[in-house]
Amino acid sequence: MFSTRRLRVVAGLAVAALMAVVVASAGTSATNQTTTVVIWADADRVPAVTQVANAWGASKGVAVQVVQKDFGQIRSQLTTVAVETAPDVIVGAHDWVGELSANGSVLPLSPSVATKKQFPAYALNSFSYGTAIKKLYGAPVALENVALFTNTKLAKVPTSFADLEKQALAAKKKTKAQVGLAVQQGAGGDAYHMYPFFSGLGGYIFGTNKAGNLDPSDIGVANAKFLKNASLIDKWNKEGLVRSQVQWDTARDLFTKGKVAYYITGPWFLSDIQKSGVKYAISGFPQIVPGLKSTPFLGVQGFMVTKFAAAHGVESLAKDLVASYMMRPASQLALALANGRFPANVVAGKQVKDADLRAFGKASVGGVPMPNIPQMASVWQDLGAAWVRSTKGAGAIPARRSFIGAQKSIAQKIG
Amino acid sequence: MTSVPIPADTAVPGPSLLARGVGFFSGPVGLGIKLVLLLFLNALALWAIGILLTDEKWLAVLAIAAATLLIDLVYLLPSRRLIPLKFLVPGTVFLVGFVVIPIVSNANIAFTNWSTGHNLSKDEAIVAIEEVSLVAPADGRTYTATPATKDGELVLLLVDDVSGDLYVGSEDGLEPLPREAATVQVGSIVAAEGYEVVQGEDLAGIDTELAALVIPAGEDSFVRAEGLSIAVELQPTLAYDQETDTFTNIETGVVYRDNGEGSYESASGVKLEPGWRTHIGFDNFSTVLTDPLVRDPFVRVFIWTFSYAFISVFIQFVIGLFLAIVLNKPDLKLQKVQRAFLVLPFAIPAFLSVLVWAGLLNDEFGVINQTLGTDIPWLFDPTWAKVSCILVNVWIGFPYWFLVCTAALQAVPQELTEAARVDGAGPLQVFRRVTLPLLLVVTAPLLIASFAFNFNVFNNIYFLTGGGPYGVEQSVAGSTDILISYTYKLAFSTGQGAQYGLAAAVSIFIFFIVAGISAVSFWRTKGLETIR
Repeated sequence: MFSTRRLRVVAGLAVAALMAVVVASAGTSATNQTTTVVIWADADRVPAVTQVANAWGASKGVAVQVVQKDFGQIRSQLTTVAVETAPDVIVGAHDWVGELSANGSVLPLSPSVATKKQFPAYALNSFSYGTAIKKLYGAPVALENVALFTNTKLAKVPTSFADLEKQALAAKKKTKAQVGLAVQQGAGGDAYHMYPFFSGLGGYIFGTNKAGNLDPSDIGVANAKFLKNASLIDKWNKEGLVRSQVQWDTARDLFTKGKVAYYITGPWFLSDIQKSGVKYAISGFPQIVPGLKSTPFLGVQGFMVTKFAAAHGVESLAKDLVASYMMRPASQLALALANGRFPANVVAGKQVKDADLRAFGKASVGGVPMPNIPQMASVWQDLGAAWVRSTKGAGAIPARRSFIGAQKSIAQKIG
Repeated sequence: MTSVPIPADTAVPGPSLLARGVGFFSGPVGLGIKLVLLLFLNALALWAIGILLTDEKWLAVLAIAAATLLIDLVYLLPSRRLIPLKFLVPGTVFLVGFVVIPIVSNANIAFTNWSTGHNLSKDEAIVAIEEVSLVAPADGRTYTATPATKDGELVLLLVDDVSGDLYVGSEDGLEPLPREAATVQVGSIVAAEGYEVVQGEDLAGIDTELAALVIPAGEDSFVRAEGLSIAVELQPTLAYDQETDTFTNIETGVVYRDNGEGSYESASGVKLEPGWRTHIGFDNFSTVLTDPLVRDPFVRVFIWTFSYAFISVFIQFVIGLFLAIVLNKPDLKLQKVQRAFLVLPFAIPAFLSVLVWAGLLNDEFGVINQTLGTDIPWLFDPTWAKVSCILVNVWIGFPYWFLVCTAALQAVPQELTEAARVDGAGPLQVFRRVTLPLLLVVTAPLLIASFAFNFNVFNNIYFLTGGGPYGVEQSVAGSTDILISYTYKLAFSTGQGAQYGLAAAVSIFIFFIVAGISAVSFWRTKGLETIR
């Protein structure tokens, strides 16, 4: 057993270890002198962000650290991350802004008037949020939306919805496909991809109040205008124009294997379609009901400055990077094209040569950005489920009943 | 410490393992290993304490310090009475770390309003509310700014974006800057007499100072830098009074008070954003019991969860047992290969299998319907979706029972089955009267554990049906949602999104349900033990 001398040895060793730790921790904090701005970006954008941000950092004496994150996780991890490892700048989607600012996770930005003039009003608006005072919380970088793809070997770009229906069903008969138009839903539903139909029939998600803000108490999922046109959905279901059984991969395969004449998708599948060799044309959606425009949901991606920038002592730097440097045409072009999107900056947009991206831009005209208020979390599932119920082929529930149910559920969830 | 090699001469009966272990750690090599391990532990604790101290988490500091000291003493003090503790401590540490702390912190969250909009501390929220309340005044100006220093003091050299007038902004206010004293290039001041412009790599060093610089500009407005080259005039619309802990709208005089639920709220019920995280007592629990949104689907979801877990485990067990018996024949050809094939589903990550099954079961495009020539709405009809969930779960789970039963069958004494056969029992009778009861003694606790486990298998439901399909009348929970996926949806797709507090409360209810069912089952199966 232990003697007192041994105990002394132990005590000495413990003290030595203690000192080693103290010295080690002092050493790491002493070497950490350079100011660093930490950026969270998704895999697609890491190279472009690194390039743009490093060019900025070099001129300011700032080191930039770009951390690769799964796009969706950027949003969820921001609420639970420790201050030490937290980002100063994040890439994100405009519809995160309501949640992030209600959580106090992002800081308001004030780009110069001249800079703001280079952006379409809706792009800036989509990144603005506030129940009392609306503020800008992000620098828009890239725009994305779905558009109508036509297999030009099977059909022509439709001139009207009736024309689309006719050609789609004719092609369906010819190829013996299960649907006439490929649009992804699956068991979980997909309200985003179905939005052109939804808006074309008169549906809306949230109305706007007098102050021009989205009003979560005005839900238009089953508004009178939409319900009047809802029987068209039952017709589409019956004739097999659309089917909720079509998942994202089946939808893509149906088009790339030449089984369907029309396909609704976004720039994310552009390279798959190009690789398949199918001859295609990209266009907007034909009007379904007179007087109502059929438009896609608009998504805007951009950069935001987090509350952690202030704690890390890089608030002014981060705001300069996001609200000045990244909003410049040259940065915008690099950042948006990095994952095949159209830049938000109009000046940069004019420099885009790619015909497909330009066509997507054309299809977006008149569209509305996805609502960015946090109540939107209560909408997706029910709206998607309503489409699934009403377009599942045999046994489908009449759209009128289905969407009234969704409206009720959404209202109850928002509370 | 179990990794320490034990002398190889185990064949020689010597002192007990315990005594030898104790002896080893008192010898020079053992003591050295022990000390190194303890030093690592102490260093780790010290590192944690350092972080916790900066975060001012005093209770945690105290707990870790006390625990570390205790562990050191237990392993260093030369008392024989401490020997049992030396074996107990590691287990206790893991119990506390992986069971007690998560349960306590989950219970703690259940009593808070942690959710979207209630994510900050109160102090942070006050700062954020003040920040959000700033507006540009009606005639508010914006400037192109250049940070500079004069006698070591940070100032902003400003160019009015509209009029082009030049100013120097300091803590004392805005001073006009004579045009001849400054050089303006592309709309911003690049040099000024008497001022040293901060540029290039020096900009990184002034960030905190720059962010804190407030230049009084009007009666109640001020100019502030927004980044490195922009300054804007701002004006607060809300004033915070520390004495009364209230916000007052400067224009309308409306007062916002702390409503005790993590928000400043006016008399008419308007809340200021953002709110903060705070304890709200049993509110979340009463929401679970009274809110129709939560309460209505609960019974339906509970019944389905129970049947899903029960039926799945039952069929898994029956199939697993059947296959185990079939493959138990000693004269079977390629017995090992066949067994290996049956275990395959168990070797594939469960969520991958589920994703593959989701594709196979697709109504119109799935391989199953196409092969069978059927038109079964596997995932789009409420009843069939339930069947699919069980089917997939059985596929994932039966190899486990096959393994367990194969092992358990070896333990059934052959004399007993032979004796029964001699007594004239048929094979079925032998199985029912001898093999099965003996098997159940071993497997019953596992069946109960498996049942409890299947109660909470989130992936199988989430990746196969996503809880759907949703009936017209169904809101939060779809036809195949089990309690845990329903909790997830309550937490992330109602209200304003994330509702961690409410979800924690529901999960406590689930804990008691599962614990209750398990306790009752264990108690009832005690009868089986008398068989031996």
